[in-house]
Amino acid sequence: MFTTRVAYLFLLPALLLYGAFVLVPVGQVVAFSFFAWDNGVATGFAGLDNFVRLAGDDVFWAALGHNVIWVVLTLVFPLTAGLVLAAILAERSARTIRWLGAIYFIPRTIPLVVAGIIWGWIYNPIFGLLNYALEAVGLGGLAGAWLADQDSALISLNVVGAWTFFGFCVVIYLAAIQSIDPSLYEAADIDGAKWRHKFRHITVPLLRGTTLFLGLYASIEAMRFFDLVWVTTQGGPGYATEVLTTHVYKTFFLVGDFGYAAALSVVLLAIVLTISALAFSLLRAR
Amino acid sequence: MRHRLSIAAAIATAVAAGGAAHAETVITQWDQFAQSGITAAGPAMDELIATCKPALGGATVLRTIAPSIGIRESYRLAVSAGKTPDLAYTWPAASVLAGYARIGALAPLDAYYAQYGWPQVNEFYKGRNSYGGEIFAVPMEQDLMGVYYNRDLFNEKGLAVPTTYEEFLALAETLKDEGIVPVSFGNRDRWPATNTFSLILGLTAGLEAEQDVFFGDTPWTNPAFRAAAENFQDWAERGLFPRGFNGIGYDEANALFLSGRAAMTITGTWVLQDMIRGAEFDLGVFMLPPMADGVPSGTMWGEGSQWQLSATASDDVKDAAAAYLDCLLSDASREVWVTKGHTVTIGTTPEELSAWGADPVVQEFFGAGLATAGTNFYDLHTTLPESVTQVLYPELQRLVGGDATADEFLEAMQAAWQAAIDNGERWIP
Repeated sequence: MFTTRVAYLFLLPALLLYGAFVLVPVGQVVAFSFFAWDNGVATGFAGLDNFVRLAGDDVFWAALGHNVIWVVLTLVFPLTAGLVLAAILAERSARTIRWLGAIYFIPRTIPLVVAGIIWGWIYNPIFGLLNYALEAVGLGGLAGAWLADQDSALISLNVVGAWTFFGFCVVIYLAAIQSIDPSLYEAADIDGAKWRHKFRHITVPLLRGTTLFLGLYASIEAMRFFDLVWVTTQGGPGYATEVLTTHVYKTFFLVGDFGYAAALSVVLLAIVLTISALAFSLLRAR
Repeated sequence: MRHRLSIAAAIATAVAAGGAAHAETVITQWDQFAQSGITAAGPAMDELIATCKPALGGATVLRTIAPSIGIRESYRLAVSAGKTPDLAYTWPAASVLAGYARIGALAPLDAYYAQYGWPQVNEFYKGRNSYGGEIFAVPMEQDLMGVYYNRDLFNEKGLAVPTTYEEFLALAETLKDEGIVPVSFGNRDRWPATNTFSLILGLTAGLEAEQDVFFGDTPWTNPAFRAAAENFQDWAERGLFPRGFNGIGYDEANALFLSGRAAMTITGTWVLQDMIRGAEFDLGVFMLPPMADGVPSGTMWGEGSQWQLSATASDDVKDAAAAYLDCLLSDASREVWVTKGHTVTIGTTPEELSAWGADPVVQEFFGAGLATAGTNFYDLHTTLPESVTQVLYPELQRLVGGDATADEFLEAMQAAWQAAIDNGERWIP
């Protein structure tokens, strides 16, 4: 029989690794945030100065705003597309579900760095596929400098994010739909319900938990994504695609102001932890 | 007991072996000399390490190639982790180098300058590599900005190299009318516009106006700097650059020029190797004419990168590294840098370039750039602290992209500049 002590012994290796590679670095970052730094060297205790500085940092607020926009767009498009596609797909044959599910999921398996490079080429103003395709079908007037224009850069990047995420939503929703009792749909069929009625009154309500999970997961991911922005725009043009993680990266690695970068990271961590706590409480409340 | 003794003996042997290994002096070297791309002088570097082996006095060089774009971040991390490489060839100098000297990460080299002389490093270059009255680096390359152009295309269209700014603008209009991109320019990587603007700033405001701001009390929001910002924005508005230039990479812009779809590109000598290798047309170079009345001809110049020694390196390593640097800067080595690395070291004269049979484009570029040595001006990359550079990058994207006015750009720069001064980050030679 396993005792509680034995159970903890089994947990110990994982806890040690977690402590060494998560808790200690997090603690270091929090400690960094209370000091002034010069080129990677601590020069003195700064108290809360680094946190006070956040209030007047326009780039921080712009970046936070972009993260929030990203969260909203991610909740609206990939989740909606994933839900509708999964609902349609669920009524097809097992073979179709298997094949199309795999195809939709492929973008999710592509690292964001690679996706960024591929879409960077697609959006490229001089040899990009998108402009070429628009011109080929007579819509050359719509061709643009997608990632170079302040007005379109963030939306264009979000399309890439949605492309990599919607397949994940399809697969999760599909699994959830397949777990819904078929008799509910059969009863609706007998009552003469149309597809849209079944979708609205059976599928959507019963997927509330899944939607909640995907929404919170997407929100957390949207707050901490970095690679896609860095390989495509580095936060530009100007500050148009600046997000918290790119602001942290530049402040830390390029400016060498470890203290302020740490303060930014602490704020980011607090936001992500708050969303996570909200997620846990909402999911447990169900 | 016997077993314990054998373990002790084994440990002693291992310690002795370790001690022997420590007896060998190893210089860890980080440099940017890759096989292709920016600063593609890798083969020349390899050859010179072998050539300079006798100068090392038994020491060996353990070389790591760090891409020139990323070496700034890599080096900063190494310094903060206490793992500063013994010898590094990195950039930028001046304000950024001073930052490392300020925190004691670099070894002062005054004694080695006294020992070896290095007369080619004149007072200008010494100043750019000094902090607090001590010299902390040995600059090697000369970097210049100029206009690479497609001579075949110019000849085909009957175009002449412009000698005035008005002629340059007229040339651009003619090229546009012909459906050719006048100036290939890509600023997705954020840094290229800094070089372009450095050139425009110097040719519009002049060296003295720059010094008044960088080393004096004149703010960025002065009329000469405003005129420079307006000129840069004007270029974009006139359509001198390809569509979506803020979304085009530096390498892609160079490729656009090398493909023959753009007539000119304005960049520095750090891509000479790639330009010479990649151009399937007659490649030419000229210097951009002054852009304001009373401003003399000149170009943006600097040392590009510099050799610097870690303060934590042992004396043996420092001595060996200094002797090695002396070899790298010798006349024989300079010839290798020029002929095989297409990298022109400081102190190299146009006559030497000719005598060594340097590529005609190299001779053309440096002949023109060195002719205006007295009026050449500053590279913003090396003159501004990193905190200001990181504001300059996005603000230039906004300026040239038409999302900020010249005044808004200059006000943002002045705010960042004043913050850096208040923080003690300003470098003054």
